Amino acid sequence: MSGLTDLMTMAKPNEALKARIIALLARGPDMCLQCGRCTSGCTAFRLLELKPHEIVCSAKMGFVEELVSSKSIWDCALCLKCAERCPQEVSPYELILSLRNEAISKGLEIPEALRDILMTLMETGLAFKPKKAVDREGKAYGREELGLPALRTGLSEQALMALMELLGGA
Amino acid sequence: MGTGEAKIGVFICHCGLNIAGVIDVKRLREMASKLPGVVVCVDYPYMCSEPGQELIRKSVAEHGLNRVVVAACSPSMHEEMFRQVLRSAGLNPFLLEVANIREHCSWPHAHEPDKATEKALKLIEMAVAKARLLRPIELKEVPVARRALVIGGGIAGITAALDLAEAGVEVYLVEKEPSIGGHMAQLDKTFPTLDCSACILTPRMVQAARHPNIRLLTYSEVEEVARAGGGFEVVIRKKARHVCEDRCTGCGMCVEKCPVEVPSEFDQGLGPRKAIYIPFPQAVPKVAVIDDEHCIRCGLCERVCEAGAIDFGQEDEFLKVEVGAIIVATGFEVMDPWSLPELGFLESPNIITHLQLERLLSSSGPTGGKIIRPSDGKEPRSVVIVTCVGSRDERANPYCCRIGCSIAVKQAVLLKERLGPEARIYVCFMDLRTYGRGLEEFYAKARSEGITFIRGSPSDIEVMPDGTIKVTVFDQSTGKLLEISADLVVLIAGLRPPGDLKDLAAKLKIPLGPDDFLLEAHPKLRPSEAASRGIFMAGACQGPKDIVETVSHASAAAAKAASMLLKGYVLSEPFIAVVDEASCRGCGRCEEVCEFGAIEVVEEKTGRLVARVNEALCMGCGACSVRCPTGAIKVRNFGPEQILAQVAVASR
Repeated sequence: MSGLTDLMTMAKPNEALKARIIALLARGPDMCLQCGRCTSGCTAFRLLELKPHEIVCSAKMGFVEELVSSKSIWDCALCLKCAERCPQEVSPYELILSLRNEAISKGLEIPEALRDILMTLMETGLAFKPKKAVDREGKAYGREELGLPALRTGLSEQALMALMELLGGA
Repeated sequence: MGTGEAKIGVFICHCGLNIAGVIDVKRLREMASKLPGVVVCVDYPYMCSEPGQELIRKSVAEHGLNRVVVAACSPSMHEEMFRQVLRSAGLNPFLLEVANIREHCSWPHAHEPDKATEKALKLIEMAVAKARLLRPIELKEVPVARRALVIGGGIAGITAALDLAEAGVEVYLVEKEPSIGGHMAQLDKTFPTLDCSACILTPRMVQAARHPNIRLLTYSEVEEVARAGGGFEVVIRKKARHVCEDRCTGCGMCVEKCPVEVPSEFDQGLGPRKAIYIPFPQAVPKVAVIDDEHCIRCGLCERVCEAGAIDFGQEDEFLKVEVGAIIVATGFEVMDPWSLPELGFLESPNIITHLQLERLLSSSGPTGGKIIRPSDGKEPRSVVIVTCVGSRDERANPYCCRIGCSIAVKQAVLLKERLGPEARIYVCFMDLRTYGRGLEEFYAKARSEGITFIRGSPSDIEVMPDGTIKVTVFDQSTGKLLEISADLVVLIAGLRPPGDLKDLAAKLKIPLGPDDFLLEAHPKLRPSEAASRGIFMAGACQGPKDIVETVSHASAAAAKAASMLLKGYVLSEPFIAVVDEASCRGCGRCEEVCEFGAIEVVEEKTGRLVARVNEALCMGCGACSVRCPTGAIKVRNFGPEQILAQVAVASR
């Protein structure tokens, strides 16, 4: 049997899964020059067990299963600095989104905070439920009091599917 | 000119902040202007600039100077240029003394500015003391033959020989192997354009062989070199081929019939050759050669040769040639990676060097260009290429081989192309330095083709019973310890100077650098010349180079040699020993100590013995001057009076 083995986990590359995960990316992890600039500027550096360059290089070598189940892909702040600054235009951010999609389609558990957002999204079509505005005296105002029209909430099945498709989910 | 009372001008250079940032130049000028014999002392930010040079010329005219002291950088930088300034100011160029207040002062003593200033003053005082005693030197024009010797027939030697020949210089092109072509002839394709190496090299080989101004001497080596007149007398040994070059048609019948097989050097031991052989199909000259060590003298070749070219009685021939210039173009050697302790015990035909892989890739190679796993002839599905094997390694070659990274990228691309997209190609690297034009793009192309680049240098390499090689490498980019099972492992082995370069350098009396490659006269300004006149260097004998760099370097060496040879003469060396015949006793001690055979004691008509110096051979070392009991023999402007005047100042 030829090929790679990760001697710590005895994992083997999963080339088919790698291909599926990088299919949507403009420039895949293969183009990475291993400079580490993505990690140098990472907003979520302190939170991440796996740093952006490690995620990219693991994906490059086909070690994607561990990435899909990694907590780190959910800790990314999606600030886009890595995508903006990569000298090779490899976007760790996009790779992370693609890994998240894979995690969700596999039905893996996702962090609670994100699940709340997801639920809100499905219920209302918005990432966050509307909140009241508060002035300096601490008085709260609803939309109505501010003369704003009522929000259309709820998402049609059709719209939900369109949104899912747009996000690359199934 | 230059006689009578000394009127010395001292010119102090700031060299920007290189000197003035440490040394108190103003104080230095005030002190120096009080020195005996100094009539003018000025400082200027850049004395080597055009206005700086003009300043010297003006001062010479204004103050009637007859000696000049420049306090600036090392004389090895700009002494020659300042001599020309003196010449254009109407002074003899050798009435100049340079005080090195940069390399000897401001740079090493940057942390002690006061002491540096004191030392600079002392150096200037010494220079002034010597300048007072300098004598003008007139140089003679010594004729040189418009002929050159090029040693080494690789791409460097071929390029240099062709450039010289085109300029009208007669060239002896000497190659120790039976064919010219060198390493480039062994390569399959060249990076980054992937054009076929033989396709671009072969026509140049033929052109060199056919050029009316080039005499090709293959299977030949330089035996002796001696300076004579303005040039050299060289003895070349033409080794016995046991095949008459002018009769052999290169038909190959003899090769076919020869019963003796030995590993082919050209194919790096991956295939056989016969005891009589033509090294490769495009060999120039396409003439067979008998390998004396392995030939059993069965005579089959002689029987089948229709041209009657076989001559077992042929002996080495010696040619004596006179040339004005020598270009060394002896290239490099690929080191033996198994000399490294971690690889030494590994015995597997499936671990090969990059040069062996070139032979596997080449359509004229032992497999006809088919990539195989040497142990069983099967097509490899997984290949690991390891860079920096023996390079950047204090145990082997501390220097970078410069071409390894690009070779790795090229071979990875070619392997992917030959073995198909399913084959896994891994490149394990320390750093990947693809620094030339088009090479970064080439590296990007390799990455886009799915070649896996791993930032890490393998340590454990293990041969499995089935012939598979297990490579363990720590990948710095993921923090993973990886194991790769490979069918083929390619080692990008470091480059070394050829084994016989040291001997050749000794024959030519030119120095080697700390890496044992030839040392150039100046690392930036004279990269293709040796420090001694008339000797030039082309290509990797001066340090690892790729083909583009080698060709540029070779053309530069040829241009330098041509500009010297086409003038038709060289100027005699200024700093050579001269004998004051009146005080010479003819004792012969100088002759004894001279390492260059430049001194001979001769008998005059009167019967008196006197030492004579051969100006062409004297290197101005001064050993004779030290040995002479009467002070009769001295190196011009470096005699006891000049040196002692400096010592007197220094020891005050």
